[in-house]
Amino acid sequence: MFSDQAAQKAHTLLSPPSVNNATFARVPVTTYTNSSQPFRLGERSFNRQYAHIYATRLIQMRPFLVHRAQQHWGSAIGVKKLCELQPGERCCVVGTLFKAMPLQPSILREISEEHSLLPQPPRSKYIHPDDELVLEDELQRIKLNGTINVSLLVTGTVLAVLGSVGDDGRFLVEDHCLADLAPQEPVPSLDMDRFVLLVSGLGLGGGGGESLLSTQLLVDVVTGQLGDEGEQCSAAHVSRVILAGNLLSPSTQNRDSINKAKYLTKKAQAASVEAVKMLDEVLLQLSASVPVDVMPGEFDPTNYTLPQQPLHPCMFPLATAYSTLQLVTNPYQATIDGVRFLGTSGQNVSDIFRYSSMEDHLEILEWTLRVRHISPTAPDTLGCYPFYKTDPFIFVECPHVYFCGNTPSFGSKTIHGPEDQTVLLVAVPDFSATQTACLVNLRSLACQPISFSGFGAEDDDLGGLGLGN
Amino acid sequence: MADQLYLENIDEFVTDQNKIVTYKWLSYTLGVHVNQAKQMLYEYVEKKRKENSGAQLHVTYLVSGSLIQNGYSCHKVAVVREDKLEAVKSKLAVTASIHVYSIQKAMLKDSGPLFNTDYDILKSNLQNCSKFSAIQCAAAVPRAPAESSSSKQLEQLNLEASSEAQASNEPTTNGHGPPAAKQVSQHPKGIMGMFASKAAAKTQDTNKETKTEAKEVTNASSAGSKAPGKGNLMSNFFGKAAMKKLKVNLDSEQAVKEEKRVEQPPVPVTEPKLAAPTSLKKAGRKAEPMKMQQREKKSNRGKRIELSDDETKETEHVKKKRRRIKLPESESSEDEVFPDSPGAYEAESPSPPPPVSPPPEPVPKIEPEPPPIKSSSGEHKRKRKRVLKSKTFVDDEGCMVTEKVYESESCTDSEEEMKPKTPSVHRPSAMAVKKEPKEERKGPKKGTAALGKANRQVSITGFFQRK
Repeated sequence: MFSDQAAQKAHTLLSPPSVNNATFARVPVTTYTNSSQPFRLGERSFNRQYAHIYATRLIQMRPFLVHRAQQHWGSAIGVKKLCELQPGERCCVVGTLFKAMPLQPSILREISEEHSLLPQPPRSKYIHPDDELVLEDELQRIKLNGTINVSLLVTGTVLAVLGSVGDDGRFLVEDHCLADLAPQEPVPSLDMDRFVLLVSGLGLGGGGGESLLSTQLLVDVVTGQLGDEGEQCSAAHVSRVILAGNLLSPSTQNRDSINKAKYLTKKAQAASVEAVKMLDEVLLQLSASVPVDVMPGEFDPTNYTLPQQPLHPCMFPLATAYSTLQLVTNPYQATIDGVRFLGTSGQNVSDIFRYSSMEDHLEILEWTLRVRHISPTAPDTLGCYPFYKTDPFIFVECPHVYFCGNTPSFGSKTIHGPEDQTVLLVAVPDFSATQTACLVNLRSLACQPISFSGFGAEDDDLGGLGLGN
Repeated sequence: MADQLYLENIDEFVTDQNKIVTYKWLSYTLGVHVNQAKQMLYEYVEKKRKENSGAQLHVTYLVSGSLIQNGYSCHKVAVVREDKLEAVKSKLAVTASIHVYSIQKAMLKDSGPLFNTDYDILKSNLQNCSKFSAIQCAAAVPRAPAESSSSKQLEQLNLEASSEAQASNEPTTNGHGPPAAKQVSQHPKGIMGMFASKAAAKTQDTNKETKTEAKEVTNASSAGSKAPGKGNLMSNFFGKAAMKKLKVNLDSEQAVKEEKRVEQPPVPVTEPKLAAPTSLKKAGRKAEPMKMQQREKKSNRGKRIELSDDETKETEHVKKKRRRIKLPESESSEDEVFPDSPGAYEAESPSPPPPVSPPPEPVPKIEPEPPPIKSSSGEHKRKRKRVLKSKTFVDDEGCMVTEKVYESESCTDSEEEMKPKTPSVHRPSAMAVKKEPKEERKGPKKGTAALGKANRQVSITGFFQRK
């Protein structure tokens, strides 16, 4: 672990100045490839409907599900389409789920005059005991009953159900299966410890003084200013820093300026301008010392729909002078020193959180991996670009490290797949709230949280240190 | 003794100047390695405490180590006051490092001032923030300005080439992906090959066309010997009438440009955009066709298609293509840049990127350039008159805007109109600052400058004269 390695060298700093001060060289980048090409959009056209993305999703996922179904229930079970179903016949059907939720915010209902409804206040979860599941395939749809956990599943999931059609026209489910993990390349073995630092939710421009000092401490640790020689030596083994979204605070969004009169907002500067300048300075310090990948998040100045495009380099005039700074998409996929990373800034997980009964973000993260889709709720409740040829959010290959940013607390787990896949799941916490970042050790594929604190007016011993969970 | 010097320095800072001396602050001020600065601080504290046990010194320490929390072995890094140091140390399972973080005379209630001190000294040392750090990264080399702008241009070239390719061919990807890099490599070869062979450019595809035009405009690295070749190519586009004028202008342009630009040929597609700022800054004399190009670009922005006699159908076609490409980009850059555009003009000169502004530079900047070029050039064969006219139009946001703009009217009756996207309605006061460069940017700025002038009444009768 980082701490253990850091503690190995003797403490030298509580002593008179020595003539020689050690300088460590940052571990050089051995291999790095950015595989986020599927998430890059060139010319964008919104003239298409979203039905195409569902169609292509089903077409792409069907072979995986048929394979899994046969693994689970034997090859004797026939896989049928909905139009071929006979009442009472036990078979397996592959289709996309739709969850009909009465509490789901619907713009049509809101503006409809006959209902004369007031707009619904935002809730943390929109699930309701009356939710119903419907299975749709290319041509038909059918309601689902039976042993299937309605509150857990969300719209857009492609799965295979085993059961039969009942007399009422509904499908009685006996069992269901998901596509499970995709095939995975073996991890290369590294000879020395290398770390990747994952941070998300820096929340600059939010005005939190505590978080600013912690951000500065983070930058100082990574750039080797802080700490004793042992710690600096360990920090030199950090080969990359990934900033997973929400670099700016939500308060920089100035949503209400749309409603204000033009003459009031004419000369007002957007709050994000100052925040971006601060971010530029932070990125400058980081990129002068370590390769940095910057992913945009929910509150960052880029497009809203997934996949979010990289932030524009003109916003960072100081930092873009260094080639170590890389502005990447959300979701982001790369191979760092042979270890495949895939991660998002957390919008997919928080959206599933709202429409499912799953409480733990790490659990949701694992679930998306098992469903073999990064964000099944897009485009239903999460904004998405209308793809029509392929759905780039389907896992083609299983990553070694799968992370999501901006979770309320740190979480890390290693899961295993049916074909001996091993994945390290990391839920990167929101830095502005928890002052915690994650250090992933590429050699052992383990993750250690690292948290920072200053001291405040309160007098408790570890008041500042006790954060994290 | 040199050893004692730093102790005296620290003494002075802490006691006399009452500063908060953090290790980082000391490191930058004395120009020493951060670890040495930490050791110096420790030495000072020890000495002071030994000498005078009633010393009014408050010290904060940095403690880091691991701690078992919620089942995870969490690495903690904390800045603590001296009185809490032992308590924190005892809580940590493994202590990785302890060192002095800062020394100050007064007791600190919270760590805010520490951050401020560090932030201030960092701001003044941004360019070499890693100089005294314990980790040096070999890969972190600041890019040379030319390199950075060319890489950006290359990126933009990719994007433009991609959109052009998509326009002309069936989208081979998902309908949204950028194309392979092979297109880019083909273009440079095509450009150089073109100039070398002096082949007729008409038969080439539209990609190469735009690049030829761009080449004409900038002439970065081509030698003088290529001028005749270029002249031939350009004549294909612009007709024989303008040929001779072209040659003259081109040569003079070349001489001006060559010394200034170190641009490589492969990135010319974006040249049309850059050409204007370049020539403006050098007070270059632009050839007519280039003027037309700039004008057509500007017209594109103003959503008017103005063609002069000399422009052939090809350029029109090319221009349409360019317009399509540019719009998505300009939309993105517009929003970010517009609120900043007044300040951005001034920031432009001191900024690291080369005088030839990089592509991310907002397209609107180009608008001001071309008209001044026209006005300042003495070699234009076309007679142009600048007439102050009042233009009323409905802008993007549905507001009616009336602007007084200088329009150049030429015998070919193509109109030049400056239409800054953020019209004077938005920034009259900011535009007042632009009075000095007004000479150079008369045209597009006229709209805004006029309004600025209108605010500032010179005399009581000024009101009546300004009809």
